[in-house]
Amino acid sequence: MSSRRSRQSSSGARISDDQIIQLISKLQQLLPGTRIQRSNKASASKVLQETCTYVRSLHREVDDLSDRLSQLLSTIDADSPEASIIRSLIM
Amino acid sequence: MHNSSQLKNEFIKKWIQGLQIYCSSKKQMNLLERTKKIKLSADIALASAKHSATCWSKAIISEAKKDERNTILINNLSDPKMNFKCAHQNLACLKRIRSRKILKKSCDVGIKMKKMKPRRQVSNLATCIAKRLVKKRTQVLKRLVPGGESMDEYSIIKEALDYILSLRVQVDVMKNLVNATTNFE
Repeated sequence: MSSRRSRQSSSGARISDDQIIQLISKLQQLLPGTRIQRSNKASASKVLQETCTYVRSLHREVDDLSDRLSQLLSTIDADSPEASIIRSLIM
Repeated sequence: MHNSSQLKNEFIKKWIQGLQIYCSSKKQMNLLERTKKIKLSADIALASAKHSATCWSKAIISEAKKDERNTILINNLSDPKMNFKCAHQNLACLKRIRSRKILKKSCDVGIKMKKMKPRRQVSNLATCIAKRLVKKRTQVLKRLVPGGESMDEYSIIKEALDYILSLRVQVDVMKNLVNATTNFE
């Protein structure tokens, strides 16, 4: 049993703790936060939680923007010079 | 940032290409269909702009390929060579994950037997809880990032980093187009 345990820890050591900490800090820098003092002490689980929230909000933004875009494109079907510009872009 | 502007240009090119494909195929689309097509072409454009450098982009394209209606779009936007690679890689990835899970389960049984002894210090408990929390959050993140289910903890964080950067580019471009279109009214 002890040999199995050592095998598990040795396979985990291939990716060092330092690397993981580095990744987490990089993630932290990406997240939108008003606190300038993003110290190293921010726990990994908190960073991951904020990452999930951020990804969800980005997904929502994309959905919202595609919604607005499709509405705008449907209303712009009139014969106006602006419409022809947009149309030439995407049609 | 050189990388993000390059990604932006690639994304814009491919997205406009995708939109043109849709507009040339059908003139009459209801609002919901159009929204879906816009979002789909944006997602595929973003994924193919990465040129199969990341797992999530391959996952998006292989997911979109499952629907036959998307074939024209995918053939025009993405690199055909990459599609074969990602299916093969996903399978190998899943096998690795499965064997790792089996190994971990067998180890956990051994660890639990050892834990029966009541010599637990506070610091061990704290790290235990922290690890469990991290694991929980990682699971949620795996569901959010496309193709995340078949990744280990380290790769999912790397992929999430890249995915967030690319999503930002996508949102930027779409916002600019919406603003430009709104200003015309």
